[in-house]
Amino acid sequence: MISTYYLQIIILAGINIIMATSLNLIVGYTGQLSIGHAAFMSLGAYASAIATLHLGFPFIAALLFGAVVAGLFGVLVGIPTLRLKGDYLAIATLGFGEIVRIIFLNLQITGGAVGLRGIPKQTTLLWVIAAAIFTLFVLRRILNSRVGRALIAIREDETAAESMGINTMYFKTLSFGVGAFFAGFGGGLFAHYFRYIHPNVFGFMRSIEHLCMVVLGGLGNMWGAMLGAVALTAIPELLRAGAEYRLLAYGAILVLMMRARPQGLLGESEQTGGSIRRKIRIFSRGADTLKKT
Amino acid sequence: MFIQQLVNGIILGSIYSLIALGYTMVYGIIMLINFAHGEIYMFGAFAGMILVVFYNVPFFLAFLLAMAFAGLVGLTVEYLAYRPLRRSSRLAALISAIGASIFLQNLALLIMGARPYTFPSPFIPKVYQTSFLTISKLELIILAISFLLMFALTFFIQKTKIGKAMRAAAQDMDTASLMGINVNLIISITFLVGSALGAAAGVMVGIYFRTVTPMMGLMPGLKGFVAAVLGGIGRIPGAMLGGLLLGVAEVMAAAYISSQYRDAAAFAILILVLFFKPTGLMGSFMQEKV
Amino acid sequence: MKKYRLTMFIVLVLCMALLLTSGCSTQQAAPGTQEPEEGTVEETVDVKVGTVGPLTGGAATYGLSVSNAVQIALEEANENNEIPGVNLVQISEDSEGDWSKAANAFSKLIDQDNVNVIIGAVLSSETAAGGPIVMDGEVPTISPTSTATGLTEGNPYLFRNCLSDEVQASQLAEYAVTELGLKRFAILYTNNDYGVALKDAFEATAKEKAEVVAVEAFMDGDEHFRPQLTSIQQKEPDAVFVAGYYTEAAKIAQQAAEQAMSIQILGADGFYSPVLVEIGQDAIEGATFTAGFFSADPNPVVQSFVARYTELFGEEPDMFAAQAYDAARIVIEAMKQNGTDRQAIRDGLAETKDFPGITGLTSIDEEGDTLKEVLILKVVDGAFQRLR
Repeated sequence: MISTYYLQIIILAGINIIMATSLNLIVGYTGQLSIGHAAFMSLGAYASAIATLHLGFPFIAALLFGAVVAGLFGVLVGIPTLRLKGDYLAIATLGFGEIVRIIFLNLQITGGAVGLRGIPKQTTLLWVIAAAIFTLFVLRRILNSRVGRALIAIREDETAAESMGINTMYFKTLSFGVGAFFAGFGGGLFAHYFRYIHPNVFGFMRSIEHLCMVVLGGLGNMWGAMLGAVALTAIPELLRAGAEYRLLAYGAILVLMMRARPQGLLGESEQTGGSIRRKIRIFSRGADTLKKT
Repeated sequence: MFIQQLVNGIILGSIYSLIALGYTMVYGIIMLINFAHGEIYMFGAFAGMILVVFYNVPFFLAFLLAMAFAGLVGLTVEYLAYRPLRRSSRLAALISAIGASIFLQNLALLIMGARPYTFPSPFIPKVYQTSFLTISKLELIILAISFLLMFALTFFIQKTKIGKAMRAAAQDMDTASLMGINVNLIISITFLVGSALGAAAGVMVGIYFRTVTPMMGLMPGLKGFVAAVLGGIGRIPGAMLGGLLLGVAEVMAAAYISSQYRDAAAFAILILVLFFKPTGLMGSFMQEKV
Repeated sequence: MKKYRLTMFIVLVLCMALLLTSGCSTQQAAPGTQEPEEGTVEETVDVKVGTVGPLTGGAATYGLSVSNAVQIALEEANENNEIPGVNLVQISEDSEGDWSKAANAFSKLIDQDNVNVIIGAVLSSETAAGGPIVMDGEVPTISPTSTATGLTEGNPYLFRNCLSDEVQASQLAEYAVTELGLKRFAILYTNNDYGVALKDAFEATAKEKAEVVAVEAFMDGDEHFRPQLTSIQQKEPDAVFVAGYYTEAAKIAQQAAEQAMSIQILGADGFYSPVLVEIGQDAIEGATFTAGFFSADPNPVVQSFVARYTELFGEEPDMFAAQAYDAARIVIEAMKQNGTDRQAIRDGLAETKDFPGITGLTSIDEEGDTLKEVLILKVVDGAFQRLR
């Protein structure tokens, strides 16, 4: 029998896989730097928790409700901000994330600064595995379609993509919306696992953590994002043995890992290439093109 | 009250400006968001506090030594965490910067402990009062030092040979190096100067708010970064303007909208500015080459 | 180059594997119990006591105080052999001030370390996240500092040892009006559960008897309070109630002085720390606040705790430390009375009645909340003085 502690870490890793792969769609495949993923997670978490507590939704409906709310916000935020490029987009998403957090901190219905207690525990390992597979499946379908190719074209060269007749604004917003949808989905699972939510864990450091997972795993590589999510969930827990040196080591590991594998754990380096089978190419290709933005 | 709040905002903003300058200088040259800048600011504040409190060094000397110390920390971070990644993707360097930031923060926590240290003001407390404005001597000194440093930096960048080389490297690193500029040296100098400015801000915040803690760099670091983007990242006058604007916006939001939404209002203004000026207030129009 | 990177990567993986296998080395046996000497046949059993709280991050100073104070209580119990045949071992876990990490810490203590009792967590959000976990795991838990309203309700395994925000804020408001003769109040509160609960209670009582002219908020860890203070100054109140912790309170006092605002500062138990006076200096002089602990209390138990804490950690204990020490003492008392297994400790905690702690007589009610007496202290010449 697996202990509750390990189960908890595995479930968190599963939720983080959903977070990282959905962020990878935005950052790794579409090339849009977002530092506000935790905000969408919190929107999903709060919306689904409120749906369960006040509207009496069954679990699956609450999850979807949270995801849809987050996705809608993704589109709403995406329309004005996706005109921005590179770091300007990053900072706008970061600002959005902080605004959402502060609003949740002050609203009555979200429990404000006290947090929301008494959410029923619904998330189980099975749910998380199913949700992660569902996420990966949908993302893979998107990436292997015309849409996926359009997104990658935008990443590679937005101007060129536009001149090829790709409606870049539409596809960027779509990618943002889908990413936010799954972030909200992950947030719903998160809320119904811990049975408690408070805005403070959805701050910008959480968004940065999601970004670290994606980059560490290898931008534009779904297996990489999964590996990154698992690694960054497990490492802080493994480091509990290090007591007060824990976060010191965590910081050093981030630096050393990037020094050792700048393209991410599963990212392709610029020199190699072509050895991976064509079929999984799009799903797991290393991207190193954010240099330009 | 309006004028009082405006002055409150300008003082806070001048500190943000100093922090933003460090971000913007580094970004201008190597396009890296130096996430560890907030921690360098904190190291500067600690160095100043330790020198003044434990070694009784005169304040202005301690101020300069703290700037020098933080400059060296900045150099070390650049050498260990950024230089190996200079040819890699920008995001890889960003993650490395985040790692460096976490490392430095926890290093300070281990060495100094979590309890806040008091950084006593070296000046005799004195408050000047008129009917519409109250300002203390300390605040006037902070304003004076910040503006002095900003002018000194502008002079350095515009008028000296090293400044010229920095501008050249910012424009095109490869061409600059072909022109005989030692780009590595220039990048090091940029980190040195940017970090020293961060330390200056750190020491001033230390005496203004009377405390120094290992966590003090987190929020000001973020705000400084936001200010740099607001002004147009990579632009030195932009960072100064962005910092002042952010400071004033924050204070006005707290005063006239709601203190509960102070930071939210500041960020909303940021997004609004970017909506109309997508490359920041002073950012150049981005010409994309096809 | 590629080879070098690969080697580095492998080295890293090996390092991590090493960390994994080296596992739970955090168990620091509290020193004190000597190894059983030759001849003594009596064998001691280790009983594990977990603590959860922020040891890193912005709230680290609070978590470290708690962990340090628990360490002292356990050491003392071991030295005096208070529970015969039992050696208390502390396992201290970090939450980074993040409640989801606190939840991980709770699970780890319960499942991996198999602790018998947990003292924690520190922040209310952390305890709220840990509550359902300790209930599922049936591990008695006592939080020394989480004051959020209703935290322990409906959870038979969760207790706490701290002043209630409602009680102290309304008592303070009453005292301010009747004893200090103040009429116009401003409130400046931290926008977290602690600040909000204090603000609500204070506002309710103060409004009945006097006037509340301004209510302003600030965020956890803010340093710049000038805009709020300027707004407050406009309303010309007699006193400002600062609902927050000592670092912020001291800075608020300093910045009020900076803008020539002389005003009576009121506060709650979050003020209680020597740091308040260190940072606040002259500006905090005269501040009046409620507290559960008073280090100048002549009671020998208080004096020995203060002396030992100062000797070990180089600073005077704050309110967090004092309450954590009492929480640990209450746990030890429960073990003495009922035994050391989880259920026995839980029942012992629930039965706590008039426990003579360093934070006053303490009883735990049927909901797991604490009943305590409220002291009122004042800063006079850089030291705390008891008013009531």
